[in-house]
Amino acid sequence: MGCGPVRLGRHELTLEPRQAPPAGYTVLTAVAAIVAALALASVLFLSADASPAAAYRAIFSYAFLNPHGLAATVHRSIYLLFCTYAFLVPLRAGLWNIGLPGQVYAGGLAAFAVPLLLWREPPGAPAPAVVIALMIAAAAAAGAAAGGIAGVLRARFQVNEILVTMMLNSILFWVVAYMVKEGGPFMGATAEGESFTLPAPLRAPLWWGVPFTAAAALGAAALLDLLFARAALGYRIRAFGESPAAARYGGVNPAATSLLVFLLGGAFAGLAGYHNFAAIPGVYKIPGNYGYYGDLGFYGMISALIARGSALGAVPIAFLFGGLSLGARFAQGALRLPFGVDYALLGLLMMTFIGSHVLQAFRVVWRRRAAAAPEAVVGGLPGA
Amino acid sequence: MEVVLAARGITKRFPGVLALDRVDLEVPGGEIHAVLGQNGAGKTTLMNVLFGLVQPDEGALFLHGRRVEFRSPHDALTHGIGMVHQTRRLVAAHTVLENIVLGHPRVRGVLSLRDARVEVAALCRRYGVGLDLGARVWQLSEGERQWVEILKALYRGARVLILDEPTSVLTPPEAAALLAGLQAMVRGEGVTALLVTHKLPTVMSACDRVTVLRAGRVVGRLRTAEATEDLLVRYMVGRDVAPGPAGPSGAPGRRVLEVEDLACLGDRGVAALRGVSFALREGEILGIAGVAGNGQEELAQVLAGLRPATAGRVRLDGRDITRLPPVARWALGVGYIPAERTEVASIGAFSLVDNTALTYHFDPAYVRRGLLDDAGLARLTRRIIDGFDVKVPHPYARARQLSGGNLQKMILGRVLSRAPRVLIAHLPTQGLDVEATAFVRAQLREAAAGGAAVVLISEDLDEIVALGDWVAPIYEGRFVAWLGREQADPETVGAMMAGRRREWAAAR
Ligand SMILES: Nc1ncnc2c1ncn2[C@@H]1O[C@H](COP(=O)(O)OP(=O)(O)O)[C@@H](O)[C@H]1O
Ligand SMILES: [Mg+2]
Repeated sequence: MGCGPVRLGRHELTLEPRQAPPAGYTVLTAVAAIVAALALASVLFLSADASPAAAYRAIFSYAFLNPHGLAATVHRSIYLLFCTYAFLVPLRAGLWNIGLPGQVYAGGLAAFAVPLLLWREPPGAPAPAVVIALMIAAAAAAGAAAGGIAGVLRARFQVNEILVTMMLNSILFWVVAYMVKEGGPFMGATAEGESFTLPAPLRAPLWWGVPFTAAAALGAAALLDLLFARAALGYRIRAFGESPAAARYGGVNPAATSLLVFLLGGAFAGLAGYHNFAAIPGVYKIPGNYGYYGDLGFYGMISALIARGSALGAVPIAFLFGGLSLGARFAQGALRLPFGVDYALLGLLMMTFIGSHVLQAFRVVWRRRAAAAPEAVVGGLPGA
Repeated sequence: MEVVLAARGITKRFPGVLALDRVDLEVPGGEIHAVLGQNGAGKTTLMNVLFGLVQPDEGALFLHGRRVEFRSPHDALTHGIGMVHQTRRLVAAHTVLENIVLGHPRVRGVLSLRDARVEVAALCRRYGVGLDLGARVWQLSEGERQWVEILKALYRGARVLILDEPTSVLTPPEAAALLAGLQAMVRGEGVTALLVTHKLPTVMSACDRVTVLRAGRVVGRLRTAEATEDLLVRYMVGRDVAPGPAGPSGAPGRRVLEVEDLACLGDRGVAALRGVSFALREGEILGIAGVAGNGQEELAQVLAGLRPATAGRVRLDGRDITRLPPVARWALGVGYIPAERTEVASIGAFSLVDNTALTYHFDPAYVRRGLLDDAGLARLTRRIIDGFDVKVPHPYARARQLSGGNLQKMILGRVLSRAPRVLIAHLPTQGLDVEATAFVRAQLREAAAGGAAVVLISEDLDEIVALGDWVAPIYEGRFVAWLGREQADPETVGAMMAGRRREWAAAR
C-alpha cells in the first residue's frame, strides 16, 4: 500500500511501490539527481553574488579538465572507493561500519610504522619493493584489526557495532595526533603536527602518472561484485544481511560472518589510509589536516548506499564526489564563495540521490480521495 | 428472489498472476451468499472489486440490475455496500462509538457524538447486538471487534455486507455467535451478506448459496441445501483429496535417531527441555503433541543444532552430533522445517533459486571453486516447483510473492531434496488450506516410507494421531508418555497435553 497518504483537500498523494523499475531508469534518475543538485546549488552561488554559470565552470573545469585538478580527482576518488568498499562489505551483511575514519588512521599509521622500523639509508637498505609490500600489508592488517574489534564485540557479545566504531574513531584520531605531534615517534623533520615524509624509494609506484592503487581499487570493485553475485561466501553474507535468523537456519555462522565482514571492511579502510597518505604524489605523509580525510571517508559510505551495494556502480559516484569536492573547494577560493560550499554541494547531491531512489522504488500517485477511505490502521491488533 | 448485486465477466490481472478470470457472480437479496475457495483463489480480489478498492481490467458490476461503477469504496458505500476486511482496521485506543462514527461522511467538522450515540444504540437494538459503546476497542475480544466493523458498515447505510474471512481469527463459540447474528440480520432485516471463507462447515451451516472459486475462475454455483462437503471440496480443489490416515508407514528399519536425556534452556534462560529420551528407526514417524510453549520448539532447535544442549546426547546413525553446528547437520542429513516460514525458513527478498541455496551453499555438488552453481540451483529449483506443484510464474520470483501454502511446499521440497535421514517438521500444515495440508502430510509420509525418521511437532491432534507411528505428548519440557499408534486416541493424548499424566504405555 505504500506510505501513508498526504491529504490535500479532496485529493491525496501517495507513494506506491513500483513492481520493477524499468531498465535504464536507474541511470536516468541518477543523471536527474545530479542536475537537480546542481540546480539547487545555484541558490547558494546566487546568495553569494556569484554567477552560477561561472561557479559551475570553475568547479567542473578544475575537477575534470585541469590536469592538476583531474589528477587530484583521480587520487581522491581512489581513496573514496576504498572507503566505499569498507562500508559496503559489512552493509551487505546488514551491519554498519561507521568506523571508517578510525580504520583509515590505523592503516595510515601502520603504513608509516613499517619504514620507521625497517628503513635504512642506501648502504644496507632493504629492497624498496619488499618494504612497500609490507607497508600495504601492514595498512590492511591494521585496518582489519580496528574493524575486527567491532566485529568481535558484535559477534561474541552482540555489542552494537555503531557505538564501538564511533568510539574507536575518536580514540584513533588522538593516537594519530600523539604520534605525529612534536616529540611523537612519527614526527616530521620540519613541520609540526605532521608525520615525517616517506623516503623517495618507498613511494608507491606510478603507472602513467597514477599510483598503482587505482588498478587495485578497480580490480577490487570487480572482485567484490563477483563475490556478492556468484560466490558462496558472498551468498552467506547476503543471506545474513537479509535475515540473520534464516541464514543461521541455513547453516551460516553468524559470529564468523560478522567478524569476517568487519575484517574485510577494515582492511579496505586500511588500504584507503595507505593510498591517501603513502601513495598520492605530492603528499607522502600524514598531514596536519588528516581529520579532514577521515571525515571525507563518509562519502564512501554514501556512495555505497547510493550504488546499493554494487562496488562497480560506486565507481562513477565516487569519481563524481571526488571531483565535486575538489572543484568546489577550488571555486570557493577562486570566486571568494562562502566557506563550506564543497560540503554543501556534496550534501545536496546526497539528498537528491536519495530522493531519486525513493522515486525509483515508488511511484507518486495523485488521486481523488475517497471520503470514506478506511481510517488509519493501528498496529498491534491481532489479525491486523 | 431478486438479484441485488451482480458481477459479469470480471477479469483482474496482477503482474504474473491472473487473479480473476471472467468471473460472474449473482447475489440474491436477503440471503447469505458464500464465496468459497482455497488460498489464492481470488476471493479477496473479487470482494475488493465489489467494494471499489480494486478496479477490474474487464467486466462490469450491476446493482438491482443497473450498471454501476465504483471508483472507490466511497462510491460503493453511497450505493449501500459495506465491507468488513480480512485485516482489522479499527483504532484500538478509541471507543467503540468513535470507531463506528469515525470517517463517516456525515461527520465533518463538529462531531456530535451525542446524536451519533442515539443512532448507533438504535442500530444495536434493531440488530440485536450487545456492545458497550463506551468501551475502548483494545479491551474487546476479536468477536466483539468484528461486530464493531459490521456496525460501522451498517451505520453508513450498508444494505449489502461483504465479510472477508470474518471467522478466521475467532474462537469457535465467537464464530458461531457471529454467524447466528448474521443470519438473524439477514432473515429479519433484509440485509444481504457476502461471506468469504475457506471453511466448509461455515458454508454448510450458515449460508444459503455458494459460489466456488478456483484459480480465479468460478467453478461451482449451488444452493447449500443441495451441496455436500465432499462435493464442495471437489470443486475447490479440482479433484478428490485423499482422506486421513493410511496404514502404518512401512516396515521400520535401522535406528536413525537416538536422543538421550536431552535438556536445554529457552530464550529467557529457564529450562525449556528437561530430559527427553527416545529413539526412532528408519521409516518411523514420531508425533510430538503439545500446547505451544512446552519445549517442543526448543527440542526441534536442539535437534537442528540451532540451540545448544545443556545436557544429554543426540546420535544420528550412531554418530554423536550433539555439538555439531547446523551446517554439519544439514550435510549429514538432518532436515528441519521450522514453524516460521517467512522469518526463518525462507528469505522473502531472495528469489526462489537463492532460497534453494539456503541449504546448498555449503554443498560441494553446488559450489565450484567457491562459486555457486547458479544453473544447477535453478534446475533444482525448477524440479522442486514441478515436483511439489508450486504455483509461481518462474524460479526467479521473490519468495515473498508466494502464498503461505505455496511457500510451505517450496520449503518442504527444498528440505526433502536433500534426502534427509531425519526430518523435523514443526507445525508443517499450520494455516494451510485443505489441499496443501493433505499434500504436506502425504509428503511427510512419503519421506518416512523412503527411509527417513520423521519428528512431527504439531498442535493438531488429528494430524498427530493420523500420521504418528508413535505419539509423545509433551508437557513442560518432558514427554508425558510414549504411545503406540493404537493407544493414541485423541482424548488420551489431549488430556496428556494438558499435563494429565496417565500410566506410561509401551515405554522403550
Ligand atoms: N496487490 C496484488 N498484487 C499482486 N498480486 C496479487 C495482489 N493481490 C492478490 N494477488 C494475487 O492474486 C491471487 C488471488 O489473491 P486473493 O484474492 O488474495 O486470494 P484469496 O483471498 O482467495 O486467498 C493470488 O495469487 C495473489 O497472490
Ligand atoms: Mg483472502
